[in-house]
Amino acid sequence: MTGGTARRALWVGASFVLVFGIWEWAGRWPISPAFPSFSQTVLALGRMAADGSLARAYASTLQPLLIGVAISAAVGVGAGVAMGLSRSIEWLTLPLFVIAQAAPMAAIIPLITYMYGIGLTAKVLAVTILAIPVIAMNSYKGIRNTSPSLLEMCRAFLGTRRQAVWKVVLPYAAGLIFVGLRLGVAMGFIGVVIAELLITPTGIGDLITYHSSVADYPEMFAAIASIVALGALAVHGLQRLEQRLFPPEIRG
Amino acid sequence: MRVQGRRLSITVIALVGVLGILAGSAWSQSTTKIRYALGDVVGIDDLPLLIAADRAKARGVEVEITAFKSEEIATQAVINGQADVGQGTPYAAIQKVSVPIRFFYQLSTLQFFPVVAKEQYKTWKDLDGQDLAVHARGSGTEAIMVLAAKQHGIKYKSISYVPGSQVRALALLKGTIKATILDAPNKSFVMKEAPDKFVILPLGELKASDEALFASTAFLEKNQAAVSVLLEELLKVTRAMNANPSFVVDERKRLGLLKDLPEKMEAEVLPYYQEGVQGGIFPADGGAARAAANDIEFFTLAGQIKGEGAKAEDFWNVAPLKAALTRVGS
Repeated sequence: MTGGTARRALWVGASFVLVFGIWEWAGRWPISPAFPSFSQTVLALGRMAADGSLARAYASTLQPLLIGVAISAAVGVGAGVAMGLSRSIEWLTLPLFVIAQAAPMAAIIPLITYMYGIGLTAKVLAVTILAIPVIAMNSYKGIRNTSPSLLEMCRAFLGTRRQAVWKVVLPYAAGLIFVGLRLGVAMGFIGVVIAELLITPTGIGDLITYHSSVADYPEMFAAIASIVALGALAVHGLQRLEQRLFPPEIRG
Repeated sequence: MRVQGRRLSITVIALVGVLGILAGSAWSQSTTKIRYALGDVVGIDDLPLLIAADRAKARGVEVEITAFKSEEIATQAVINGQADVGQGTPYAAIQKVSVPIRFFYQLSTLQFFPVVAKEQYKTWKDLDGQDLAVHARGSGTEAIMVLAAKQHGIKYKSISYVPGSQVRALALLKGTIKATILDAPNKSFVMKEAPDKFVILPLGELKASDEALFASTAFLEKNQAAVSVLLEELLKVTRAMNANPSFVVDERKRLGLLKDLPEKMEAEVLPYYQEGVQGGIFPADGGAARAAANDIEFFTLAGQIKGEGAKAEDFWNVAPLKAALTRVGS
């Protein structure tokens, strides 16, 4: 380990200790009789991991999340690239994505139940309506931001339109498309938790609502903390992968 | 001259200020405010409370009702001191949270109806090994259905959770679910929409609380007079309503309560109270010791109360109700 990375690790560690320390203090003070301390939450997480309820919950939550993210990636990248390459598709669909990105989705998700009921479809849909706009918008920007000098060079070498797209535009946009996918995964986590809290309580949403209804506040906080941690780790992992795969000038 | 004038105006301002403070404190002495946390939007089932609140106001006790998104949030408001009185049955929270909170009045007992699709099921026995939908894990609806299964010696294949009687009623009509449990308005709605398609399975009398009032022991101790006024009015309204359910309809009109109620809902007010009164869900004595015992039994089964040997005094404070009953007569 070099001196730089060691120092960085130390700072990261110190930041965690500080946040968890404040949490522990706030729980012991307490800021509310229902607010558990960090240590109580960790113990509750241990109990839920030991009795298998956490694993069962994630097996259920990851299903709509993974299906939803896969659909969003395909539809989002496809729509973004199409909008980037064709003015008429851009004119037709861009406003939809701009509106979808700005709309308060927590207000819209309950409406899904009126159309798609309460099953897996409704939850997958909740993930996709949050994830697709951000993936599509980033892919679109990636295509549109292709360096004009590179395109000029392609034309100078008598490259065809197809060659320009496959050999210049897409590789250049790959960085931003990947950024979109990373943000899409983050939105997917938000979508699946909102769906599990607002549509029907299953998986991690069930753990949160059930433990809240029987006033097991440490367990409720542990369930929330675990999904936050998983979401953060997934997004961080994708960010590391992105840094490794793409040079900084095309990451946007 | 100018200095004197300024002094005079400062004196006048100070005097007005002092008088204002005095008037304010006199007003606050004559009117006590109870911040009341409701765990749902104000609906037709809250009319007795609204009538009682209106009458309490005339006696110097202002009941300020705030509707929260859920019973849990309303309970948190009481635990954290942002509300004085809450409505609901948060037995688990009262058992687990360090702040001493006690129930002190039972507004109504549970009234639910197991509704099943006629084509598949006709009796309780037919539900053996079948799927069932209830409100939520650990909810009263689940406890009622599990208790009924025990009584009839059957076992469900699976229990799924679909929050909201209205959502389950629509799912039942759509055919997404075949067996569930509904509250009175939604049971009536389903039976009216498709009278030949569904049957209501018989259920023994439910004695546990559906809605009860709770507050911190400190609040009950400090505000005995105000709490008594509220309880006295609630008792009087409940008794008048039990004697004649149309009392609620008349009072609503007279006092102008829930003015923006749609016509369709307005027509449901009288049947709702007629059915409730007939089912005996509004106790004329506020429940008290009997309510505590029934609730402890039921909510232990529901999994809300943990452990054996829970005592009534750990959950209920019957003193305010006793005081109110002596004033209005038992």
